[in-house]
Amino acid sequence: MSNEDIRIGVFICHCGTNIGGVLDITELIEYTKTLPNVAYSAGNLYTCSEVGLSNIRENIKEHNLNRVIVASCSPRTHEPLFRSTCQEAGLNPYLFEMVNIRDQDSWVHMKEPQKGTEKAKDLIRMSVYKASLLEPLEKMQVSVIPSAAVIGGGIAGMNAALTLANQSFKVSLIEKDSELGGLIRHLHKTYPTNEDASNILETRNLAESHKEIDVYKSATIEKIEGYVGNYKIVILQEKKMIEIEVGAIIVATGARVLSPEGYYNYNGKTIISQLELEGLLKENSVNAKNIAMIQCVGCRNEERRYCSNICCMTALKNAILIKEQNPDANITIIFRDIQAQGVTYEEYYRRAREMGIIFIKYLPDKPPIIKEDHLEVYNEFMNQVIGIPHDLVVLSMPLIANEDSERLAKMLKVPLEENNFFLEAHVKLRPVDFATDGVFVCGSAHWPADISESISQSNAAASRASTILSKEMLEVEGSTAEVNPDLCIGCEACIKICPYSAISKDEETDTAVVNKVVCKGCGVCGASCPQNAIIIHHFTSDQIIAEIVTYGGGD
Amino acid sequence: MVFEPKILGFLCNWCSYAGADLAGVSRIQYPTNVRVIRVMCSGRVDPVFIAEAFMNGIDGVLVLGCHLGDCHYISGNYEAELKMKMLGKVLSMINFADRVRLDWVSAAEGNRFAEIVTEFTEHIRKLGPSPIKNDKLKKQILDNLSATKFALCDSRLRALVARQRELTTEGNVYGNIIPIEEFEEILDNAIENEFIRHKILEKIKNEGKSVPEIAKEIKIEPHKVLQHIVTLRARGLVDVDQINEEIPTFISIKEV
Amino acid sequence: MSKISKNVMVIGGGIAGIQASLDLAERGIKVDLIEKNACIGGRMAQLDKTFPTNDCSICILAPKLAECFRHPNITLHTLSEVKNLSGQQGDFKVKIFKKARYVKEDECINCGQCIEKCPMRVEDEFDMKLRKRRAIYIDYVQGVPSIMTIDRENCLFFTKNACRICEKVCEREAIDFDQEDEEIELNVGSIIVATGYDIFNPKSLNSLGYGRYPNVVTALEFERLISASGPLGGHLTRPSDKNEPKKLAFINCVGSRDIKNNPYCSSCCCMYTTKEAMIAYEHNNEIETSIFYIDLRAAGKGFREYIERGENKYAISYIKGKVAKILEDEQRNPIIVYEDINTSQVKQFKFDLVILATTMVPKKDAVTLAKILGIKTNDFNFFKANSYYPQISSKEGIFLCGACREPMDIPSSVVDASGAAAKAAEAIMRG
Repeated sequence: MSNEDIRIGVFICHCGTNIGGVLDITELIEYTKTLPNVAYSAGNLYTCSEVGLSNIRENIKEHNLNRVIVASCSPRTHEPLFRSTCQEAGLNPYLFEMVNIRDQDSWVHMKEPQKGTEKAKDLIRMSVYKASLLEPLEKMQVSVIPSAAVIGGGIAGMNAALTLANQSFKVSLIEKDSELGGLIRHLHKTYPTNEDASNILETRNLAESHKEIDVYKSATIEKIEGYVGNYKIVILQEKKMIEIEVGAIIVATGARVLSPEGYYNYNGKTIISQLELEGLLKENSVNAKNIAMIQCVGCRNEERRYCSNICCMTALKNAILIKEQNPDANITIIFRDIQAQGVTYEEYYRRAREMGIIFIKYLPDKPPIIKEDHLEVYNEFMNQVIGIPHDLVVLSMPLIANEDSERLAKMLKVPLEENNFFLEAHVKLRPVDFATDGVFVCGSAHWPADISESISQSNAAASRASTILSKEMLEVEGSTAEVNPDLCIGCEACIKICPYSAISKDEETDTAVVNKVVCKGCGVCGASCPQNAIIIHHFTSDQIIAEIVTYGGGD
Repeated sequence: MVFEPKILGFLCNWCSYAGADLAGVSRIQYPTNVRVIRVMCSGRVDPVFIAEAFMNGIDGVLVLGCHLGDCHYISGNYEAELKMKMLGKVLSMINFADRVRLDWVSAAEGNRFAEIVTEFTEHIRKLGPSPIKNDKLKKQILDNLSATKFALCDSRLRALVARQRELTTEGNVYGNIIPIEEFEEILDNAIENEFIRHKILEKIKNEGKSVPEIAKEIKIEPHKVLQHIVTLRARGLVDVDQINEEIPTFISIKEV
Repeated sequence: MSKISKNVMVIGGGIAGIQASLDLAERGIKVDLIEKNACIGGRMAQLDKTFPTNDCSICILAPKLAECFRHPNITLHTLSEVKNLSGQQGDFKVKIFKKARYVKEDECINCGQCIEKCPMRVEDEFDMKLRKRRAIYIDYVQGVPSIMTIDRENCLFFTKNACRICEKVCEREAIDFDQEDEEIELNVGSIIVATGYDIFNPKSLNSLGYGRYPNVVTALEFERLISASGPLGGHLTRPSDKNEPKKLAFINCVGSRDIKNNPYCSSCCCMYTTKEAMIAYEHNNEIETSIFYIDLRAAGKGFREYIERGENKYAISYIKGKVAKILEDEQRNPIIVYEDINTSQVKQFKFDLVILATTMVPKKDAVTLAKILGIKTNDFNFFKANSYYPQISSKEGIFLCGACREPMDIPSSVVDASGAAAKAAEAIMRG
């Protein structure tokens, strides 16, 4: 579009007296008329009122405007409204600009109306120059494959698959083991109800028999490509490569238990792990009378600083079960802090204490020492070493990240945290999302989680996935980044810098390509590109420099 | 007349722009000197923008983003921090570093926004007008600023900063992690070199000059000038103009 | 795919209700979001920062508020409460009582001119009564919907048939004293309850002196005191003499893990007291903090590291032991009396300011709401949830999320909310 064709309309809002009572609106209107390409300039009492909006629509038509500027309040609150007004009048919504002369001018310079008016002039002038360079942008539409892949067939994965399948989405449930169920298969009973773990495992039958769920067992992921709404996954199952296409992916790969080998004279007989105790309980073959459980073995230390979340409750459960069976058993839990958050778990902890289970706190620098028939632990309450007789010592081992997390993370282009658990998009408000759109996480792959937490998270991940799968088309913001292939030298700096993995390399041309569906338009790649080869639409370097030059040269 | 500083502010949409709006809603009064350009993320602010601002007579530039860790785009403000650090190094060579400030303002910090603006305005007022407004200095300052802009546009420097995080945390193609001190040194050298190279190009834009002549004009030892000339020749920016009494003169051959 | 014809009702517009609504709306399901207050945002809007990232709370919440307000699939019913429910999953009939706002929602532009002129000073609940608001007000400046509300109990027009000054100054003529309370009927397929929690009032614990000692405050009061948008603008001073406190003490488990009050654990206090101590330290590096605790519960992602950081970099000492009582000296400094576990001796420690980590308790109208909805509560009046499927209530078609079922932090509430959204969607697809 050549310069002569640009016709800018500037609407200056009084906002009652909010702006009009401080700034000289008449002066602003007259000044605006002197600026290049301005075809129309007028004031409105309230631009956001229906009267104001129809006034914009009418003037777009009457004066054949192809750029609209509203000088009023904040674009953070009102840009969507004015953009759609432009659109209603047949103007591309990206040909709209907003100038903040209220929140950042009249309201903060109430005692300096003259200077405030000068500031407004500068801001409007900057906007007019930017507006001349605005380009119409289209919101792209991409289709969505209405099915999901759930990676990992433990309780989290099975439940996520079921929740989606119950909403009529097709699900591929992929498990590396030869059967579904994950860690729960090894459990005797589950807290806080102390019912048989097999009750929860019934989920397995539901998942296997659901008509919307395809279960792939003994299957590994070989390749993942694509983007939100359109992923291709290659699965290796019994030497066969199977390719599936899905719109969303849920990571539910769980965690594994740290091996007790090498901790506290572990011998697998009289000194065993909590997981091995579950096995003994299943076979009803716990014969010991004096049982000591040690918490935080191999964690909350230099090597593994974290608390594994579920071990306290597991120890409480097994202690209660033994005590119920054999009230004469002496059970001591040697702990650092008992993690029993909330209502039910705290009550469970109280029940354990009331049953006569002994709790002794130890300090990390004075861990218990296991002797032949007793165990010695320093207790700070009594300021002395206490001897505890034992014929069975049970070590509570933490959950640690799976060995193959790294491989999967690379394929999905999602990050891991320092302990190799998957790192979500935002700890507070996006706990089951990844920054990469269309990929979600739940259960112990994210962080050690017990059954109810895993189920809760898997429902959440399914919900988040359904927000994508339920759409036939995804609409994509127009203001994204774009690589100019003629300038790009394929250095990949942008690929590394993009937090959303939105940029990849086109192997044929050896240049970077932005996937507009994934790009959020932050513009960091553009500011970083060594070759200045990336255009950030709607915030282009030309547009921003136009604002700078206009302001600077405006004396 | 009282000097009224001309200040440009880059504000990220999600935190600092919202903080500025909050100052408005709370009617906190602050000086009128700042004009705001809204960007989606502080990481969008290309250092070249700031060189451009100074070349156009702006006295001070504020870049405000979300607090570290709060970035709406996960890591954009960390990138902004790296860029501004590099920019600071470049600008300190021409005594402009004091005129730029990077800071963090959350959407809840209307007060803080007003404080930063007030303080920065006073700071610039004390520094006085940009030296570019001094007619005697204008030419020299503009030369310096355009050398700065050249350095900031240069792909080597940009590539270094763009890869800083990768190189200092994940390692280079060989998996070697470069210690941050070492990286800083590489960056410092790169900045200085690009800056000087542009000054050399400026001097030989219209007429060929010998190494000793250039050295004298830009006050740098001749052997260093020669090194830069060799590099610039390799990049195809400089060629031999003529040879007088066995002493070659060089001339810029490409508009940059 | 089956067709969805029913709306889902979400009760409660805090972060849990907001997340549930947004998930459903994005899922293509129409949502009626019921909020008792004039603005959505809930407790999270009152927080300064959030652990373990110390993100600014309103920065991350505000975009969600705006999204909720703008989303075409969400109908926001503010100042509204559920009064009656009949029917069953797939076909619930709900009666909503909507209080009059006395401000026209489409006209008010939140310019604040009425606030300036309103002569009434009313204790501000949002700011934990630490400052006054007017009788025409908005809870907090970023509140959504961003419009004013007239508080009928305090407005001079309603109490004394006088004033009406807001009506005169409003250029938009947005004030409407003739508005009346309404009853709205909704037909929804499933329901999500996300009504959140109240805070335990420590006045009943005589030994801690709350209410008598000005320098003993609750954690939520402290949150407002250190908040950049709070009554002190983020410059922390103590209530008695406006001096900057240097020695802070937090007491965890106030009103919780205590048979006499609430035996349960409030889940987040270990973390938020650490956070508040960190923020205070960031304001003033001379501050030293002691946190008195029973167990340090920090099992979430990055939580243990957070506590370590507090200990190593923010001058926080963690002291295991239950506080016996608080005394006060002549300068109104609180003195904590506690039993030292190493020596079994009773020790005293003087502080400038003591903060009580008061437990989350069920909403005071939780039992009433449970009766209306026909759902069960547990022994402590939290809504009763299934042990392994925590979003499932005792009644088909009604789902739970957030702290209304058990004390929990923000990420757990968000997880819970998304999970409840999935279940509510499932219910109307079957129904």
